[in-house]
Amino acid sequence: MGERVDRNRDRLRVKFSVVLRIAVAALVWFACVSSAAEPDLLEPDQAFRFSARLVDADRIEVHYQIAPGYYLYRDKFKFQAIPDAVAIDASQLPPGKVKKDEFFGDVQTYRGDLKFTLPVKSASSSARFTLKAVSQGCADIGVCYPPHEQSAELVLAALSSASPDGAASPFTRRSPAATLPAAPPTQSEESLIAGLFKGGLGVLIASFFGFGLLLAFTPCVFPMIPILSGILVPHGERLTHARGFALSLAYVLGMALAYAVAGVAAGMLGTMLSAALQNPWVLSAFALVFVALAFSMFGFYELQLPSVLQSNVAATTSKLHGGHFASVFAMGILSALIVGPCVAAPLAGALLYISQSGDAVLGGSALFAMALGMGVPLVAVGASAGALLPKAGPWMQTVQRFFGVVLLGVAIYLVSPLLPAVVPMIAWAALLIVFAIYVHAIDPLPPGAPGYRKFFKGVGVLALVAGASLLVGALSGGRDLLQPLSVLRGASSAAESGPAFQRISSVAELDSALNAAVGKPVLLDFYADWCVSCKEMERYTFSDKAVRDRLARMSILQADVTANLDDHKALLKRFHLFGPPGIVFFDRGGREIDGVRVVGFQPAEKFAATLDRALQ
Amino acid sequence: MNRKLQTVLIGTVALLCAVSGVWFYQSSQADRPPDATAAGNMVLGAKLMGVDDQVHPFEQWRGKVLIVNFWATWCAPCREEIPGFVKFQQAYGPAGLQFVGIAIDQKPRVIPYAQEMGINYPLLVGGLETMDFARQLGNRMSVLPFTLVLDRTGKVVLSEVGILKADKLEKTVKPLL
Repeated sequence: MGERVDRNRDRLRVKFSVVLRIAVAALVWFACVSSAAEPDLLEPDQAFRFSARLVDADRIEVHYQIAPGYYLYRDKFKFQAIPDAVAIDASQLPPGKVKKDEFFGDVQTYRGDLKFTLPVKSASSSARFTLKAVSQGCADIGVCYPPHEQSAELVLAALSSASPDGAASPFTRRSPAATLPAAPPTQSEESLIAGLFKGGLGVLIASFFGFGLLLAFTPCVFPMIPILSGILVPHGERLTHARGFALSLAYVLGMALAYAVAGVAAGMLGTMLSAALQNPWVLSAFALVFVALAFSMFGFYELQLPSVLQSNVAATTSKLHGGHFASVFAMGILSALIVGPCVAAPLAGALLYISQSGDAVLGGSALFAMALGMGVPLVAVGASAGALLPKAGPWMQTVQRFFGVVLLGVAIYLVSPLLPAVVPMIAWAALLIVFAIYVHAIDPLPPGAPGYRKFFKGVGVLALVAGASLLVGALSGGRDLLQPLSVLRGASSAAESGPAFQRISSVAELDSALNAAVGKPVLLDFYADWCVSCKEMERYTFSDKAVRDRLARMSILQADVTANLDDHKALLKRFHLFGPPGIVFFDRGGREIDGVRVVGFQPAEKFAATLDRALQ
Repeated sequence: MNRKLQTVLIGTVALLCAVSGVWFYQSSQADRPPDATAAGNMVLGAKLMGVDDQVHPFEQWRGKVLIVNFWATWCAPCREEIPGFVKFQQAYGPAGLQFVGIAIDQKPRVIPYAQEMGINYPLLVGGLETMDFARQLGNRMSVLPFTLVLDRTGKVVLSEVGILKADKLEKTVKPLL
């Protein structure tokens, strides 16, 4: 036993020195990065994150997430709907915090999370409109931002668009129920990380609980089991199932509490760091840390607390007497500190992840849930009065590697917005393929292999195929993560690639295109990157053979109005369109054909029929 | 873990850092402010409307120690530093120092404020496009206040985002006069 401890200690020392080296390298890197970075000022879109949604037909909810240390002036807001058929009443803003201003008298300012509703009156019962919001604010460090315009696309439903399956719109004209905002106003609307947490608190807590449950099936539960049996043993023969359950629950709750504190701390730290977390350098640094943690899950090295700390805590724990709930609870708290080698890495990952959300409550509850998940098997052991003990096996390593893959995935996710689309795609492909190899996807199954081996092989083969398709797709020019091979379809038969639209971007260009197309009917398609039904049209309708044949007989124009420039607005205004989706047709003389407009998605057959009318 | 693997790992990480560093350096280089002389030429080549409705070319201040201050009446930190600027102009104006204020504001608000504060240097008025100009001069977040100090040869010697403290201003300007 003593010899084993010594050997363990030596191993720990080596591991610790590796950890130390990595930490020093990370510090040096951080130092370089921070010296290169700007003074801590946020872009206005990040300092004042704007979003808006329709609550119902006559109210818009406006939401500003104001970064800590920044504020907005109450009397500087301006709201406007484009087109102005929609009237917005911005006279009733909530009272702000009064700030003395020696020149203007008292001014009211807002900080933190600002939400208010604006009454709207729409002249028409159905409309897609753009809400333009002008705000003005300052940072406590002593700078102010000029008036800043942000916008959101809002849809009053009952837009005459059919839903993708061709079913009639469920909304009637008289009750324009509100729908989701069509698109986030700007790409910076949600921070990268906040997006991860979009699923809502419930989903997040459930997934952290699941994570904890998985962690409990790594070899790391073993250090906890002797502690737990130490708690249970003093009761000897008299240990009932109920008492065993209660004691182990107290132990797990203690552990969960310690984890929750760590979560809250991470969340609060995140609030302070929120400015830094918008920085590509910091994101890359986090991604690197995730990669380092993942490598430890793959067994390249092991991460854990310094051995001195570990043995101290273990000594203290063993001094506490078992049997009493309070001391068992305390033991739980302490043993959370001796996280075994495989919990340490995912835990550090989870803490980093939470710190980026900047939400202390969420961090606390997520980690509490994770610890509860980890505790479930321990409680089961307790309730069985010690009869149930998990059997060790190679499957535990697979679980550990799964965590490694998850951590690498988070790393890719973090940096993917900073890189050209092809890089994350190849990274995902590499990740899936390497994962597949790790779970023995291409190793033959021995005869009479246990069920879990077959299952993991299945998962591995799936990952291998997915990874290979991503790689093939990326290398042949595909940039769509969900449809990596779509480019191959285009390449194998040129006829099926998207129709070649002539791009126009202003009224003048439209007129000259119409002049050039005399004798041919003309189709003009309004397109924007954020327009979902435009993409559906592209993917399902324009690619159809019958549609393509008809389009070939027309002159087809496309106006990409993503940038929403003045020229674009003028172009939309000419057709009284609020924005894409919208397709208008012109006859052979260049006049618009009344009544054949297509707004929203149309399936191929219906669209072909529409084209026939335009071709008449 | 064996030493070889460790070396390979650390080497890989270092290489990744280097590559990402070079990439990031180059991409940040793209919107790096122009060098001191080019920035100075940009300023001296500018023309803006003053509160007096006259066009003021910056060329007229070439040869002076020129301090260009972007500000606005709605910007509390900007107003904080203005009394100090007025004193500075008074003390060092005769020695060849020239403040010029560029207000990102409306004229009717600037005039009463200037009168109240006794601003003793030219005030020009610019719209939001003037903020783009400030951005090109190195004010990457387009914030106010923003102050540039040009020496007598037209080189930008100081570019300060946020309040320019009196001692820093004094330390920068004195050797130039």
